[in-house]
Amino acid sequence: MAGVGNRVLAGTDRALDLLRELPRLSLSNIRSNPKAFKRNKRGRGQHGGKKHGAGNKGSGQRQNFMRLGYETGNNPFYLRVPKEPYYKGHHIRREYPPISLMQLQTLIDTGRLDTSKPIDLTALCNTKLFQLSPFENQYGFQLTDEGLDNFKGRINIEVQYAPEQVIAAIEKNGGVITTAFYDAPSLIAMRDPMKFFASGTPIPKRQMPPENAVEYYTDPKNRGYLADPDLVALERFKLAQKYGYELPDLKKDPELLPMMLERKDPRQIFFGLNPGWLVNLKDKKIFEPEDEQLLEYYRS
Amino acid sequence: MATKIINKTVTEFSLRITRCFFVPSKAIQTNAALFQERSETSITNVEEQLLPTIRPPLPIIYSRKLAFPPKFKAVRQAWVSNMDTVEEEKLGLIDLHPEVFAERPRVDIIHENVRWQQLYRHVSYANTKVRYEVRGGGRKPRPQKGSGRSRHGSIRSPIWRGGGIVHGPRSPTPYFYMLSFNARLNGLRSTLSAKLAQDDLHIVDSLDIPTDDPSYLEKLVEERGWGPAVLFVDDNDIMPLNITAASDVHGHYNLMPVYGLNVHSMLKHHTLVLTLAAVERIEERLLFHLNRNDAAEAGRKHRLDSL
Repeated sequence: MAGVGNRVLAGTDRALDLLRELPRLSLSNIRSNPKAFKRNKRGRGQHGGKKHGAGNKGSGQRQNFMRLGYETGNNPFYLRVPKEPYYKGHHIRREYPPISLMQLQTLIDTGRLDTSKPIDLTALCNTKLFQLSPFENQYGFQLTDEGLDNFKGRINIEVQYAPEQVIAAIEKNGGVITTAFYDAPSLIAMRDPMKFFASGTPIPKRQMPPENAVEYYTDPKNRGYLADPDLVALERFKLAQKYGYELPDLKKDPELLPMMLERKDPRQIFFGLNPGWLVNLKDKKIFEPEDEQLLEYYRS
Repeated sequence: MATKIINKTVTEFSLRITRCFFVPSKAIQTNAALFQERSETSITNVEEQLLPTIRPPLPIIYSRKLAFPPKFKAVRQAWVSNMDTVEEEKLGLIDLHPEVFAERPRVDIIHENVRWQQLYRHVSYANTKVRYEVRGGGRKPRPQKGSGRSRHGSIRSPIWRGGGIVHGPRSPTPYFYMLSFNARLNGLRSTLSAKLAQDDLHIVDSLDIPTDDPSYLEKLVEERGWGPAVLFVDDNDIMPLNITAASDVHGHYNLMPVYGLNVHSMLKHHTLVLTLAAVERIEERLLFHLNRNDAAEAGRKHRLDSL
């Protein structure tokens, strides 16, 4: 094995060290990995001649394949079993792409998320690692419990769906979690704020959740954003009892407390910016509406 | 000096140099200073004329701050030498980022790049005629029955001598394809690393040479064991006049700005000479692309299948 003195070289260093002894790399002595580039040739005789892999007559030669599922006259499999409508209405159901706690911890450790500020959908999208397409019925992110035991972040996070054990994992570390609903136009603004501000439209008013989501977002067990804060505090305590951990007191850390208590208004979509405001990126100005009708419309 | 260069421009050199001449560069100023010194001393020997260079005590360059400091790899170091004397003087030692200059020399990626550079602009004009393009053959050569011979409909059928060619090359056949962005990025990293590992990469403070005499450059390359083919890379595409003039007569001394740096050219030339500014720029560009977090979004616009 190549080496310098007593040091044994391996990997990249060894390769570079070997290269010192080899002839100069030039256009004539480089080559690719074997079989990297397939030569597209029509073989003759024993090298794939005769039918060229297409078989004798029929679909193989003519590519007139039967439609999917057709079994040449048999009762096909997809009709043989009775209908089981698990996916009924799938095209109108809301979808929440998952982010695991392990991913969240990695984002924090690698500095892609700033824990000194509340983490919301905009912060997650700004990592550029997650795509959200509201046009495909994606209504935000859900937190999943993978990496639950290793989660150490102390954060104020707002997601769109979170199971009980994830809520427990975040609150055990002294964090705060809220689940909140955003309608599609709000999500389009939130997933790329710079693009939205450049479009020159006022920040939209967040709509109330649809009828079948009201129950979830008003439930203090789910830390819904429409739930009574007192009941949420009670549920935080109950969950700590259930999972057997001591609920850290938020007031003990007066520096973090204002951040931990920061929440959005049910009509608000950006922290610090109200619906109806217009952000001018070029002049770095914010315009607020004065018209009474507008103020009435944007009032929460 | 200036009239001499203008005469040369008109008679010997290309229009490219004429354009360079009218761009004010510091090379002209330094030359003027040297010329004055030379006229005072009035030494006839060319080499001795160039010798008196005033320089602060060495090393001039000894440290360099690396962007994205490497966590797990040791930085590479390289000498910085001068171009204003034929003999090499070491001006100092600088750090090079291992992600750019000490990357694993993937010969397959280098080959992929070279293959792409040769093919993307290649159009094959090889052509053969199919049966309807060959002249004649419209008439049935003989009746279907009764002749005692085989049945044929055309004398230009592919089974006939002088007939059309089946599956032959058709002109024009473009061989254009796009190598993926990361393959191009890694190709540059691999090639720069291989060049440095084989002592074929040299770093100089600048490309300012004291004369526009081609023999000066020849002697310099000979003395330092470079080349014969040398690629000089600078940050700017407006090169100093002297090296432009001195390298123009030789096909194997070439000047290139950083934005033109490519794997094929680096391998075609035996030696690669980078200026300090070029090193800065190359590292800055490659490290930017290696560390940007919006690469997926930035590349989406250029994806061929994005429509």
